[in-house]
Amino acid sequence: MSFLNPIAFLFAFTLPAVVLLYLLKKRRKTKLVSSTVLWQRYLADTQANSPFQRFRNHALMWLQLLLLALAVGALARPYWNGSAGPSRLRVLVLDGSASMQSTDVRPSRFEAARTQARAWIDGLRDNEQAMILLAGAVTQVKQSPTRDKSALRRALDSCAASDSRTRLVEALQTAAAFTYEKKGEENQVSGEIHLFSDGASVDLGELATKNLPLIYHQVGSEGRNLGIVSMDVRADAEDPTRRLVLANLVNASSVHERAQVELLFSNQVVETKSVEMPPTNSSAVLLSVKQTSDGVLTVRLVGADDLSVDNTASTYSFLPRPVSILLLTRGNRFLEKGLRSVPRAQVTTAADWTGPSDAFDVVVIDRVTPSIWPSTSILAIDVQPQGWFTAVTTEKTPPIVDWNHAHPVLRHVNLDNVDLAESQLVDPPSWGVSLAQSQQKALIIAGERERKRVLWIGFDPLQSNWPLRISFPIFLANAVEWLNPATQQTADLLLHVGEPIRYTSRQAIQSAIVTRPDGTSETVIAQKDGHEIFYGATDRVGIYSVRAGTNRATFCINLLNLAESQIASRTNLVMGRYAGVSSVSTRSAPSEQWRWWVAGALALLLFEWWFYHKRTA
Amino acid sequence: MAEPLLAPKLLRQLEQFQLQTGRRARSSARGERRSKAHGQSVEFADYRNYVPGDDLRYLDWNLYGRLDRLFLKLYEEERELSVSIFLDASESMTFGEPSKFSCAQKIAAAIGYVSLCGFDRVTLSALPDSAVTPAQRSALRSVRGKKSSLGFLQSLSLLNAGGMMSLNDSLRRAALESRQPGVAIVLSDFLDPTGYEVGLNTLAGRGFRIHAIQVLAPDELTPTHTGDLRLMDSETGAEQEVTFGRYRLKSYQRAAQNYIQRLREFCRARGLSFLSVSSGTPVEELLLKKFREIGLWG
Repeated sequence: MSFLNPIAFLFAFTLPAVVLLYLLKKRRKTKLVSSTVLWQRYLADTQANSPFQRFRNHALMWLQLLLLALAVGALARPYWNGSAGPSRLRVLVLDGSASMQSTDVRPSRFEAARTQARAWIDGLRDNEQAMILLAGAVTQVKQSPTRDKSALRRALDSCAASDSRTRLVEALQTAAAFTYEKKGEENQVSGEIHLFSDGASVDLGELATKNLPLIYHQVGSEGRNLGIVSMDVRADAEDPTRRLVLANLVNASSVHERAQVELLFSNQVVETKSVEMPPTNSSAVLLSVKQTSDGVLTVRLVGADDLSVDNTASTYSFLPRPVSILLLTRGNRFLEKGLRSVPRAQVTTAADWTGPSDAFDVVVIDRVTPSIWPSTSILAIDVQPQGWFTAVTTEKTPPIVDWNHAHPVLRHVNLDNVDLAESQLVDPPSWGVSLAQSQQKALIIAGERERKRVLWIGFDPLQSNWPLRISFPIFLANAVEWLNPATQQTADLLLHVGEPIRYTSRQAIQSAIVTRPDGTSETVIAQKDGHEIFYGATDRVGIYSVRAGTNRATFCINLLNLAESQIASRTNLVMGRYAGVSSVSTRSAPSEQWRWWVAGALALLLFEWWFYHKRTA
Repeated sequence: MAEPLLAPKLLRQLEQFQLQTGRRARSSARGERRSKAHGQSVEFADYRNYVPGDDLRYLDWNLYGRLDRLFLKLYEEERELSVSIFLDASESMTFGEPSKFSCAQKIAAAIGYVSLCGFDRVTLSALPDSAVTPAQRSALRSVRGKKSSLGFLQSLSLLNAGGMMSLNDSLRRAALESRQPGVAIVLSDFLDPTGYEVGLNTLAGRGFRIHAIQVLAPDELTPTHTGDLRLMDSETGAEQEVTFGRYRLKSYQRAAQNYIQRLREFCRARGLSFLSVSSGTPVEELLLKKFREIGLWG
């Protein structure tokens, strides 16, 4: 037998106290009375009715000692190992996403969820086990299955909400793994999953067929929130010295909201605008700043709402630099003209290039095979580089069935009326994605090889009517922008919460120091080749700086998540089309009461003892 | 000089009472009480045939005229009533404020005075014998007539309580020594560890008309001493350990009332009258009210 709360044995010090009470000798006063006849009658009457008749034999003392020993033992919570039958497991899943930081319930939704979870832990029966999962940026098992309520409470206290988006699916899948038992060929439910969440931005479609034993405990209410859901920094076409900052705002509440939008450059406010947001609407705000050096651009919403994490978004902006392009072609006026029309582009045209290609930001290979394959970003047109694709087929007049207009390269590009005479078709390789599709095969591939961006076009634009379309120069401008290493570097510096920081160095490094938004620093060891470091603990919004020797880089971690800014708490969680789970606002929880009973019995015993002596005083 | 036991005013009030006997006097001496004996008085009792030697003054000559036979008229003989007062003068009677003995003394004085005023013969026996001197004993024995009351009261007031006494033994001895049973007044606290039953039974068996008057101190009915106590009996010296507090007062009072009730039922079963009084009760209330209520005198 073991004890869950052995510290309760400290109460055993009360045992000698009882013995001491009996060791104390009574000091009686001698009193001369006329006769003891009446007193003898009185004693005969009372002793016949008193439950304490055998006081002098100290039987009560032994009884008290036994009772105290039992009470102390009970407080120490004895238990037997391995003799208890299987018990139902309760997996408590706490939603630690950003929306749980909303303060529509005081002090916050997460604290409200923690309080509810604590009540459940308090109500666990002795033979029931529980475990705690925290669904933050990653799912953390804060406490493995146990009956020890102290450990569960400690684990619960160590939980904290992060700034990340909701990732409940992973947590629920982890929880589901604990709540099923293999019985023969079938899985049987052996526990319950208690989800403490606001239900905001939860998509549990993947769990539609899982038939989870899920009990949803809703926290929070509708809430008021105004948030930044996206941020983009562009060069001003009219004034190259200025940068345009486009911020998308959303009003997630059902009331009209007013707010001030501030643009800060290196922590200095450079522009302010007032915005008025109708209920549940979104709108874009365009701000501009004259940029004289590289620095952090921050958009900040000033105004009181229930969620502060999405009120700030930052990005690191470099000064606009010219893009040097090497065009390897046997002659393509459309392509050359299109590239030259790209802002700040410096185009060098050649039939072949044997020198170092590092001097160029982008190399465009148009239907030629260079003597030395360039080691920079490449736009390859109608070539078959070795090792890029597993199988290449050629097809006459392939139709362009679909294209990915969400990709930056095809933004504002319409391929509807583009006809091709002939094209190479490939299956999307592992290093890239298909941007344009002809039935089952890809026509355009965008990806990354050896840390360089690569864009491959399977057809010759001159063998199509594309150069005559307005989409062609737009495509070239997008492609140069996307392939430009400076753009890539800017994109690498703008991350969402939970995404790892990836810092690439040209020189080999051993380690780097990462400074978090709260000022704490952490040393991160470089990967094997010494050119990259990864840092994954990006669970807080803010500026993370990486220092590796003399090199520095600034990473901006933002929430920028429309779903997370929609903080209205939901009563029902939808699981796919047909399944769902409703919140349980009240549910009777069995509560462990025996300690109170024991403590009450102890108090009663002490009171009886005191009362007995008071009566005889 | 000892303070008089009863105030003169109270004595004058007592003079109007006469002790109720409840039965005819059986004394051989002539007195003021009706008796079963026939003798000389004004109360006609019966006729009987004349026998030679009878006093011719008591012949009914009118009957002789009508019937020509001699009948003798019989008259009730008035005899004196013997009143025996048994006064407990043991150590236990010295307790109480005012003391039980003081209260019993006054009651004995009042009964004695009323009896003497009624020309009854009064004998007061202090129990135990050792409590009285021979002179006191003779002064309190067979006192008769109102003129003797002063001496009787003075002797009574000089009595002191003390010593050990067995109520049973004392009453039994007194019953055996008494020549003419009459009215017996037993004044005691009846808190004798050996009991009171044998003594009272013996008295009743001798033909006494018994009035048992129990005198208890207020402190015996409502004890004021509390805590862990070792109680010592004033007469026997026996010790009794007891733990007592104000929350146990009711239990004690219930035990005390049970004891008194047992005594009352014992007396009722044998035709004895019984009264339990507290020594703290004003003596005027006892004598003028309570004793009339129980029919001791009227």
